[in-house]
Amino acid sequence: MKPKHVLVDLRAQSKTFFRIKSNLFWVFAFPLLLIIIFGAIFSNLGSETVTLNVQDLDDGPGSFALLKGLNQTGMVKLRFIDPSTDLEQYIKDNSLAFVMVIPANYSDNLGTNTTATVELRMDETVSTSGTVYNVVNAVVDATNIQMSGGQEYVTIEVKSIVQKRFTYLDFFVPGVIGLTVMTTCVFSMQGTISRFRAAGIFRKLATTPMTPFEWLLSRMIWYLFISLLTLAIIMGFGILLFGMTMTLNLPALLLVVAGSAMFSALGMIVARFVKNEETASTAANAITFPMMFLSGTFFQMEMMPDYMQTIASVLPLTYLSQGLRDAMAYDNLNGAYWNLLVVGAIAIVFVVVAVLITKWEED
Amino acid sequence: MAESVIEVNGLVKRYGDLTAVNGIDLEVKAGEVYSILGPNGAGKTTSVEIMECLRIKTAGQVRILGYDIDKQQKEIRKRIGVLPQSFNAFDYLTVKENIDYFGDLFDQRLDAEELIEAVQLQDKRNVWFINLSGGLKQRVGVAISMVNDPELIFLDEPTTGLDPKARREVWDVIRKLKSKNKTVILTTHYMEEAEVLSDRVAIMNDGNFITMGTPRQIIDQYGAGSTCVVKSANEAAKGAVKGAGMAFEIKDGDLWVKLDDKGSLAKLVGLLSSAEVTYDEILIKGSTLEDVFLKLTGRKLVEVEQ
Repeated sequence: MKPKHVLVDLRAQSKTFFRIKSNLFWVFAFPLLLIIIFGAIFSNLGSETVTLNVQDLDDGPGSFALLKGLNQTGMVKLRFIDPSTDLEQYIKDNSLAFVMVIPANYSDNLGTNTTATVELRMDETVSTSGTVYNVVNAVVDATNIQMSGGQEYVTIEVKSIVQKRFTYLDFFVPGVIGLTVMTTCVFSMQGTISRFRAAGIFRKLATTPMTPFEWLLSRMIWYLFISLLTLAIIMGFGILLFGMTMTLNLPALLLVVAGSAMFSALGMIVARFVKNEETASTAANAITFPMMFLSGTFFQMEMMPDYMQTIASVLPLTYLSQGLRDAMAYDNLNGAYWNLLVVGAIAIVFVVVAVLITKWEED
Repeated sequence: MAESVIEVNGLVKRYGDLTAVNGIDLEVKAGEVYSILGPNGAGKTTSVEIMECLRIKTAGQVRILGYDIDKQQKEIRKRIGVLPQSFNAFDYLTVKENIDYFGDLFDQRLDAEELIEAVQLQDKRNVWFINLSGGLKQRVGVAISMVNDPELIFLDEPTTGLDPKARREVWDVIRKLKSKNKTVILTTHYMEEAEVLSDRVAIMNDGNFITMGTPRQIIDQYGAGSTCVVKSANEAAKGAVKGAGMAFEIKDGDLWVKLDDKGSLAKLVGLLSSAEVTYDEILIKGSTLEDVFLKLTGRKLVEVEQ
């Protein structure tokens, strides 16, 4: 293998890539548009306050002070539920996302320096749940400090099945990175191979000293570079515009490397078996489109029926997106490495198959 | 005597039950422009792609520049230049960048500027390939095929789909290659192209060479002599020719009279001198490779859309 051949092809790719405007849109602008649109829809961007439903069973000076504090934050809009209302039924009937219950003995407990517990019922799948928790928590902290310099007289008991506090964007953005890696690599590789075949470029390259392996290597390096560039741009965008806290760590980088190799190889395999340019594009769509929706890019897989979850479990994008989420948003390194293992194994199989079946001489 | 740069003996290529190339023999000498002429599907491209190391033969022996095609493909690739059929370079690279791309893949290469000058694209050197006309694109293709300074150049249907002006521009480039003493293998289905450019021609049909030699030799051997075309001849002219027992055809209102010998032209001129005879003009047309192909195969060598 001659590195010079790889460099020659990389140089040509870099020039070509940035000269085609549609490349810049699909690889960089489109993911950002997705984030803006879905972020706006699911993050309640533009609404100034979040509605917090309150059932005040105390109705005393203590609860009055707590509610006044919450009001003063300007971040929640309080909506009161009659103390005699059956709360469970009311939540169900009105599909409430956030309900705070102030117990009947709240003021009495504060008066006797006994811990009083405010119950906060939340639907964590709603993206603003983290905001609500933080606001209530801040007001409770302020109450504690005001009463005795740090002694916790008031505590919050969060009733929830899921304890993680992450926003929809925390979930969505790593998924968009995975999605972009997939579409960039599959479509670029499939499209390039189909186009080069039709244009006689492979026949021409076959008469040069460049080998198919050198060409494949160059392409995979280039798509990896584009994937990493996408990762950086999307991350920067999420941090600057949405104030997200995302971690760029080793497993995240390795996942992008393995994911890029996996999907580049998949693009090669598609192009090898479907020779017509248009049919190859349709085949690539047929493979990537279901993955886009079934692999949990836009919504959590737990929301899907069991049989769809089973399908998702065999789709490579599922593991790439979940791994990126674990690594970048959830701080779950064990989960990230497990998913990396799966993505890496699939990538090895795909790359080996792609290299074995790719040749540019005809039979 | 010039050395042989291509030696093909009994070359066969089969795809299942279909025999694309049926045991052809070919010898091409250094410095020749050798055309393989035939209709689409005749087996021209399959034959040259085997010589270019792009396809695997079924049977036969092929030696290119003295190297065995089965064992020395690497050596052959270094020394040949190829313009594949329907070749398009990288759309979003300039003419110079495209030439440099392919040139940089070889250990030894010609300078891009030299090649740009050879194909007369100096004013297009910084234009993206996608923005060139068909004729200019083919000239870039020819320049790319010369990038490793090859001894032998294969041009596979370099003028297909081009307008007459662009076709002639490519012909000029091929003539330049010949003037530089390069050996050129040209496949084409334009008989005029083969006739004008080639030192020797092989006519191919259904996987076989049906004849080969210089265009003149082939025409002399198989051509039907000259024809006199009397444009817009009236009925009196037709009657006079018929009455004189001369062989003729009517095509689009014109009278095509076969000239069997030197005397027949004088005889025809005499007939056309009659006061009743009217016509627009008289042309003398020699036999072409097209006529030869028609005679040998019973089919016309027409361009079929790819």
